[in-house]
Amino acid sequence: MSLLAALASVLAGLASASAVGWAVSRAATWGLTLRERIAWALACGLNIQAFGLLVLLSLRARPSGWRLLLFDFAVAALALAMDRSRSRARAARAAESRPASRESWLVPTLLYGVAALAWSIFLGEALADSMWATDFLAFWGYKGKVIALTAEIPRRLFQDPVLYFAHREYPMLVPLSLAALAAFGGRWNDQALALFYPACALATLLAVSGFLERRVSRRAAATATALAALCAFLYRPANAGTAEIPFALALVLACSAAIDFLKEDRTSSALRLALASLFCASLKQEGALFVFLLAVVLAIHARRGDARRLRGALGALLLPVVAHWIALYLARGNQTRRDFDFTLLEPRRWAELPALFGLVLGRFARIGWTEALVPILAIAVFFLVTRRGIGDALLPVFPVQILVYAIAFTVSSFDPLYAIDGAFRRIAMTMFPAFTLVLCAREIP
Amino acid sequence: MTSREPRAPGARGHRLRAALAAICLLALAASLLSPNQPEATRARLRRFQSALAGHPGDRPEAMGFWFDPDYLGFLDEVGRRVPRAATVAVLVPPRPDLYKYQANYRLAPRRVVEERWLDEADVVATYKSEIGRGPGGEAIPGGLLWKRHSEPR
Repeated sequence: MSLLAALASVLAGLASASAVGWAVSRAATWGLTLRERIAWALACGLNIQAFGLLVLLSLRARPSGWRLLLFDFAVAALALAMDRSRSRARAARAAESRPASRESWLVPTLLYGVAALAWSIFLGEALADSMWATDFLAFWGYKGKVIALTAEIPRRLFQDPVLYFAHREYPMLVPLSLAALAAFGGRWNDQALALFYPACALATLLAVSGFLERRVSRRAAATATALAALCAFLYRPANAGTAEIPFALALVLACSAAIDFLKEDRTSSALRLALASLFCASLKQEGALFVFLLAVVLAIHARRGDARRLRGALGALLLPVVAHWIALYLARGNQTRRDFDFTLLEPRRWAELPALFGLVLGRFARIGWTEALVPILAIAVFFLVTRRGIGDALLPVFPVQILVYAIAFTVSSFDPLYAIDGAFRRIAMTMFPAFTLVLCAREIP
Repeated sequence: MTSREPRAPGARGHRLRAALAAICLLALAASLLSPNQPEATRARLRRFQSALAGHPGDRPEAMGFWFDPDYLGFLDEVGRRVPRAATVAVLVPPRPDLYKYQANYRLAPRRVVEERWLDEADVVATYKSEIGRGPGGEAIPGGLLWKRHSEPR
């Protein structure tokens, strides 16, 4: 099979996921821009397609493109049948609520041009080679390939001691999505499967752009989209094959849903919180942490006297995380966290913690001073010269998430400095597209 | 008397703040681009173009073997000779750990084990390593291969 044919099959898988995601997420995304709805459709569809793969595997049916397509079609038809009666009223209300914009197109067009160029380069770079990031070979891609080639989820992926390096405790959405997309082509082609990453990057940029244009301005939307697209720490070929790029999409969706929840009364924002929460938790372990921090922010900032609505939002955020954790526990049993040495939390070892924490903070400070001084200063001055924006309530989530990373590195099973140098920049930069929502939502005088 | 729009109080200050904000965003954008290596990007885009054209002899996997280009041929040969249900011990240099990860990934879904699980292996493949070598064995590109137990099909 030529690369073009393999790419076409992966694209068909992504389109099928987006179509079923579109149908299922309609109830949650009405009133959003088309760009946001596409992003939500992909995020939602990836979860549904992964579930479809699990259903086929549990029925001992070898997953194929046609079977997954049939599953997606059945779910989409069911969702549309259940939702038909409400869709017209929603469409009318959504149309009423959007005033025509009189902003200039020139600067936004230039900025979108920059974003399109940056994304196109990432697309070409990601597809140039088979994926070979260490994390892809050791676990994300490895698990996906084993599932795709054996048409089952072998117990050994979670129990075999020889796979001690394969992070048995990690969530499974990335391997399942890769295996599902491989089924559309009928073979494992790790060059064509890399298309998954530019697709997630594009959905992230669409979500950033659509959200800020709806909530702030065309210029803010274009600025944030260009900044996110230019983030070469995140959108680079070495990250194709890892979970970072889809996780950045999950964080953008979670933040946009949280801001919407704080600004409006519609129940659809609580539904979006639930979808984003599931997407975060099913991609990376730290997704659950981000969701928990968002829940704290919502609890602090939600309007007083609306306890019922707040309870609903907190339930929407936290229940998917808990349900996902229970499902994984039931499916594969208790798994040790290989990244962490929790004996450091026992009283006999408390004396070691301050020195380790100091070491971690020292490394963070060194990275900040030698590599990130310009962007940190630029962000600080930007906050000083601009006025409050709609995303400011979410601002503390980002430094607190970094602080928890510092604590995690402190109890690392490996040398903390080795762990920081290997992972910190990559995991921290997953937050950047979500951070642009907060940054560019601020009002420039 | 010329009619001029009265200037809003503090308009100059506002313009200055807007200019500062724009400069900050430009500085941030420039710093985000710092990991870019234009030469490497051009080389990747050329490889992508070549892969799309379907040039014979192109191996998209080759970049993942930057640490030892010969290792890809060795794993290909092990993959050809060892059944998918077998357990294969792949004995390789300990550094970089990409030797281990590439063996696991390239030979999947075979069960690939390290030296400490040698007893469980149906087949032993050694590459640039003296460990596990015994008498006999078949020479394959870059290494040797021993069949220890009767292999599963």
